[in-house]
Amino acid sequence: MKRVLTALMVLAVCSALLILPGCRRRQPAPAAGPAPTAPTPAPTTAPSPAPTIEVQANPSTIERGQQTTLTWRSQNATSVVIDGGVGNVAETGSVVITPRESQTFTAVAKGPGGEATASTRVTVVAPKEAAITSTDIEALRQAIRDGRVKDIFFAYDKSELTAESRAVLEENAKWFRQFPSAVVVIEGHCDERGTEEYNLALGDRRALATKEYLVQLGVDPEQLETISFGEERPFVQGHDESAWAQNRRAHFTVK
Amino acid sequence: MTVPILLQLLVSALTVFSPQEPEIVIRPPITGVTRLAVADFQPKTTASPEADSALKVFNDVLWKDLAFSAFFEMRSKSFYPIKPIRVPTDVNFEDWQTPTVNADFLVFGNLIVSGSGAVVEAYLYDVKTRQQVLGKRFTAASTTLIRNVAHNFADEVVFQLSAGTSRGIAQTQIAFSSQKGDSKEIYIVDYDGANPRTVTANGGLNRFPEWSPDNSRLAFVTKLPGSSRWEIWLQDLAGGRKVIPTRSSYASSPAISPDGRRIAFSTRTQDAQDSDIYVADIEGGGMRNLTNHPAIDTSPCWSPTGQQIAFVSDRSGTPQIWVMDADGSNVRRLVTEGGHCDSPDWSPDGRLILYSWQAPTQWKHDVYVVEVATGKIYQLTVGGASNESPHWSPDGRHIVFQSTRSGSKQIFIMNADGKNVRQITAYGINESPAWSGYPRREQ
Repeated sequence: MKRVLTALMVLAVCSALLILPGCRRRQPAPAAGPAPTAPTPAPTTAPSPAPTIEVQANPSTIERGQQTTLTWRSQNATSVVIDGGVGNVAETGSVVITPRESQTFTAVAKGPGGEATASTRVTVVAPKEAAITSTDIEALRQAIRDGRVKDIFFAYDKSELTAESRAVLEENAKWFRQFPSAVVVIEGHCDERGTEEYNLALGDRRALATKEYLVQLGVDPEQLETISFGEERPFVQGHDESAWAQNRRAHFTVK
Repeated sequence: MTVPILLQLLVSALTVFSPQEPEIVIRPPITGVTRLAVADFQPKTTASPEADSALKVFNDVLWKDLAFSAFFEMRSKSFYPIKPIRVPTDVNFEDWQTPTVNADFLVFGNLIVSGSGAVVEAYLYDVKTRQQVLGKRFTAASTTLIRNVAHNFADEVVFQLSAGTSRGIAQTQIAFSSQKGDSKEIYIVDYDGANPRTVTANGGLNRFPEWSPDNSRLAFVTKLPGSSRWEIWLQDLAGGRKVIPTRSSYASSPAISPDGRRIAFSTRTQDAQDSDIYVADIEGGGMRNLTNHPAIDTSPCWSPTGQQIAFVSDRSGTPQIWVMDADGSNVRRLVTEGGHCDSPDWSPDGRLILYSWQAPTQWKHDVYVVEVATGKIYQLTVGGASNESPHWSPDGRHIVFQSTRSGSKQIFIMNADGKNVRQITAYGINESPAWSGYPRREQ
């Protein structure tokens, strides 16, 4: 994993270097007319410096459904606009995007000293054929066993995701996207309070809320199944909040 | 600021649910004024070990059936005449009118073992008029069927002395879900817990059984081992089954309509966020969403006429009992006390709905009944255990429910006023009981 990250970083630096020479600068047009014969008095203010802008996407090639980060930096600009649906942005910043098709993003910086543009292209490739590979299934099962794919927990009688749950799901989504041929079963579980019938419906709602967020994070909905266990399979026995809190969860298994 | 409000709420909740003063009369007093004496049945000719053991079972079952029927004041055997009664000519009616016995009606009879079976002659007499009310001869092909003879005669006595109000519950059955390791299977027992038999043995999770009105089928939900999908099964008790098609991995709480032609259940479509109540015809076709509401809707039950459906919805915040017409119109909330309600079951006379309620501050449930016309509620169980999943007997005079009062979840029956509780399962974990209808009349 570390090696992959290092490779990505190297790629990012290289692509930034490649993009930089592509930035064009427009100098203010020289004053018309013959060159003055007599020295003119020095201007009281220096001419406004020309704006500069650079923009890059990291990674610049993604599979459909994956995310990339668009980062830009400009100087001497009073406005920066990036096309492709990004819009007006600050002088310097970044945004996470999920383009469905390959797309060139052009940033235009305008200032008193003129205008500068820069572009970067994001290449979107079709996801690899989801051939069922036992290595995907085994790898994901191992990640669940090792606790790298984590369960998420819910408040009493609630199916809303907490900020903590969202963070966990963001990490889980990376695993699920990495092994797209492994079908993930999201199990919804409840504590012993409430009746069996209601808890079966509540567990279903918890599993669905979990699935919905994973799909937002780019996991293929076809890769995700949901099943409610209601209060059928408590992870911890006991009749107090410490047990109940452990039992209100979404748990992941590989089909 | 909030603390006094909470306290007020608690205090008002306590007043509403104090169990000592029934707010509604469940029905005409359950312990009737009919005083019944049931003399031990006797060997018809000479005693034999076979006859004695059959009589022991018969007398025990008959007494319990009649006592639990909730129609009679059972007169204690301690004061009965010592002379055994085999046939009507043995009866001295004055003996049964003394102040200590003081019976209105007298049951007696005899048994003879013939081959591997037995013949029972059973009588019911009016003590005051000295008239015979019932005189029946039953033939059991095997002495192991002697319980059924006792049940059969008990139901005849109840039918006669209740003026047809009840056909008796002694021959009814109870289905429930029983945990075996990681699986839950459907079982059926006689109403008194005897004679258990298996309906499913698929190693999966089989839950929430409900009877068809003719007792020939059970509807329940099944998740087979290794499957990530709940299915609604219609299991024919004579063999064969049908799976009602649903559109997602969630399906729950089926209920067959009183005419046996429709089935209501909770499910959702693939793209829906929440469960709804659906109705399909009994073959599974024509599935229609009745609630269509962004909330959990589950646990449908039919009114006895099939015109209305009570169900559970958390659209008001927590799961509560709601009622709608069977076409999904005219939706209204029936119970307004907060907390968690579930498992509604409509009484056979249509007046009352049983349900379980978990108070906002509690984790255990208790069994309540609400009068449909007025919304008045009455608590039927009390104590430290959780009491859930209530279900009416077909005569509406009894209730089956699950309770943790003996430790693990077990099945109990009681009178409709919450009295006379009797445990009918003892081993493993047993839940979600459903009482069958009356047995089909065999003519």
